[in-house]
Amino acid sequence: MDILGGLVEVVQPATLLLIIAGTVAGVLVGALPGLSSSMAVALLLPFTIYLDPIPAIAMLAALYCAGTFGGSITAILINAPGAPPAAATAFDGYPLAKKGEAGRALGMAAVASVLGGVFSLMVLILAAPALATIAYRFGPPEYFALTVFGLSMLASISGKSAVKNLIGGAFGVLLATVGVDLTTGVERFTFGVPQLYEGISFIPVLIGLFAMAELLEQAGQKDRPLERFGMSALQLPGREDFKRVWKTILRSSGLGTFVGILPAEGSTVAAMMGYNEAKRWSKNRENFGKGEIEGVAGPEAANNAATGGAMVPTLALGIPGSATAAVILGGLQIHGLRPGPYLFENQPNLLYAIFFAMLIANLVFLAFGLAGARYFSRISLIPRQFLWPAVFCLCVVGAYGVGQSMSDVYIMLTAGLAGYFLNRGGFSPAPIIMGLVLGHLVENSLAQSVILFDQDMTRFLSRPIALFFFALAILSVASGPLASMFRARRAGSGPEK
Amino acid sequence: MKYLARIAACVAAAATLGGPAEAQDFPSRPVEVVTHASAGGGTDTTARTLLIRGRRELGVDAFVQIKRGGGGTVAMSYASGKPADGHTLMAITPTHLITMARGRAPIEIDQIRGIVRSTDDPIIIVVNKSTGIGTLDQLIEASVKSPIKWGGTQAGGIDHIAAITFAKNSGAKVAYVPFDGGGGIITNLMGGNIQAAGLNYGEAVDGMESGDFVPLAIMAKERLGALPDTPTLGELGIDGVNFSTVRGLIVMADVPDDRVEFLEKAFLKAMRHGTYQAYLTGIGLDSGSVAGAAVWDAQIREMYENIHDTLGELGLRK
Repeated sequence: MDILGGLVEVVQPATLLLIIAGTVAGVLVGALPGLSSSMAVALLLPFTIYLDPIPAIAMLAALYCAGTFGGSITAILINAPGAPPAAATAFDGYPLAKKGEAGRALGMAAVASVLGGVFSLMVLILAAPALATIAYRFGPPEYFALTVFGLSMLASISGKSAVKNLIGGAFGVLLATVGVDLTTGVERFTFGVPQLYEGISFIPVLIGLFAMAELLEQAGQKDRPLERFGMSALQLPGREDFKRVWKTILRSSGLGTFVGILPAEGSTVAAMMGYNEAKRWSKNRENFGKGEIEGVAGPEAANNAATGGAMVPTLALGIPGSATAAVILGGLQIHGLRPGPYLFENQPNLLYAIFFAMLIANLVFLAFGLAGARYFSRISLIPRQFLWPAVFCLCVVGAYGVGQSMSDVYIMLTAGLAGYFLNRGGFSPAPIIMGLVLGHLVENSLAQSVILFDQDMTRFLSRPIALFFFALAILSVASGPLASMFRARRAGSGPEK
Repeated sequence: MKYLARIAACVAAAATLGGPAEAQDFPSRPVEVVTHASAGGGTDTTARTLLIRGRRELGVDAFVQIKRGGGGTVAMSYASGKPADGHTLMAITPTHLITMARGRAPIEIDQIRGIVRSTDDPIIIVVNKSTGIGTLDQLIEASVKSPIKWGGTQAGGIDHIAAITFAKNSGAKVAYVPFDGGGGIITNLMGGNIQAAGLNYGEAVDGMESGDFVPLAIMAKERLGALPDTPTLGELGIDGVNFSTVRGLIVMADVPDDRVEFLEKAFLKAMRHGTYQAYLTGIGLDSGSVAGAAVWDAQIREMYENIHDTLGELGLRK
């Protein structure tokens, strides 16, 4: 009955319209280099306050799905990935376009995205309620272990240096300590400014880091002349192509969903892994980078599969599965919905409504992507002097809108300026945001655990779920050094053979 | 010039036309209600619902002015900076009293004056059924052996102060576990990570209906209409522990008496109307929430004293 209820919620004319609008906006924004889906969701978020929760979240989720696909259009046509998750798509998509096969590449990108997206939604519908049932057993010690695991994943959250990602994450955690401490009631880092007593809310920081910082970055660049290729008629993948890529799509869908479910890791990492695995298993390995259709299907299926996967922990546990999911989490909270087991009990329709919204978004962008790709690619021709001032207005209005407070606007501007310089220094915004979100959790859950354990930390050992996540955290930190040790040993023993 | 004179005449005429209907000189301009919380929250919704009929009773427009930040500090600076002529009211909650008691507010308790109480949602002591505790005495007894894990909101907040005051006056031993928001308290009480919590009726009702939560006592002077069988702490011999999520309107103490009386009457009438009563029912309260200046002002001061003492013992007061 819940599934029908969810469908009924979504198949309202107004909600459908919002989903379609979100999808089209997502494809457009995704196609714009510099505007990512995290940023689009962050900018749209404050405007959804006045909607009912389900249409609001449905629209944000649709935007998330479509934005991830939109980036591949410009990645293929003009070698300018519209969003970070599409970066891997350009490796082979652009060479294909150069060969005059842009239509084939785009068709494959659209179909692979939809298949990946739908696969992960199936997982969402099965896994989230299952996770929610065991979530009753998630007390503070379990949350602490899970957040530690999430923080341990920050190293690989963006393509940039692992050390810088970790520093960024730690900086985010530090930002989370501002305000009156939950467990002691003591003020920290407020410098006597009353507006900081309640801490730094993460939506203005997010708008600043994602949108404002990019605006500053783009403002410093001239319009670059883009080389564009004439597009052959768009074509859906033929039988030949399908035979070639179905394994890749299946593998990437599974991989992408799994990466999405992991806390903090999102589409960008999924796409990179999808590309690498497609290459590793392919029979046409040497053709990669020169215009291999598998090299388009691999990352595209993976990055869209990560969207559904990322929603699993976000909805079931309140731990964001990706940076964009962190923004959607903010959206849930604005609407007074507390993600976690109670969400499914109190709002049984919500999960299914989100599921259907994302499903519809996948179908809509398939249609729009196939029919309108060449027009969508023109969006990158909008002159910067018109585009970025508009983005600036949205940043300010968005930061003010959530709390009706000018101090949030100042926080947004500060975050934007900081983000600009951090970006120049090679730090990406995603780990900072995740640090800010997880920072509250990691600190509070530890303090709560200590009280629950009567100050006896060894009692963490009596919680199996917590131990499981601690083990994963150790594994994720150790896997890098272990892998290089292993490689070094193999390389060392090689010549003796 | 002739033209200007004509306009002036029109304005004067309009002013006198409006005049006779409201012979008094108060209120003479729109009334603002300053709140400290974001739009859509409990305080905001209460204030807005109250003003639907409030405008009519006041005879002028009235609006909500949100000044967020610092546990009411920003709102209190704003309201105290306005002329004390009764056109500026403030919606206050225990948060404001705590901020004042901690010495972080720009004003002191003697500088405010209660007008009407708009909601009164007492804290109910609730335990998880699986603890096997069925009465308050059993709770106190069990806590002496091993401190009761008691969930609530932020340390130094009203839940914390209520729990500590209860422990002090009853002899129970309480290990207070703070959570970020009500949802975490409920989940952890349901999951058995904590054994007890002080909850509002609206928060506890689902768990009580399913039988998972057992209400033991109410931190108020009178029993709750919805829970006729649950005793108050006073009935059980524990005095001076009256805490609730209250909201009400205040003005600065310098506002003239006749204006305070006018505001009290207008808002009491507005809250007796079906619109406001339906809102109260919707959030699980009843008409007992509404009270006049005498009751409300006394309640503010009693709560303030309790908060002040307990914060001092917790070392959270300047």
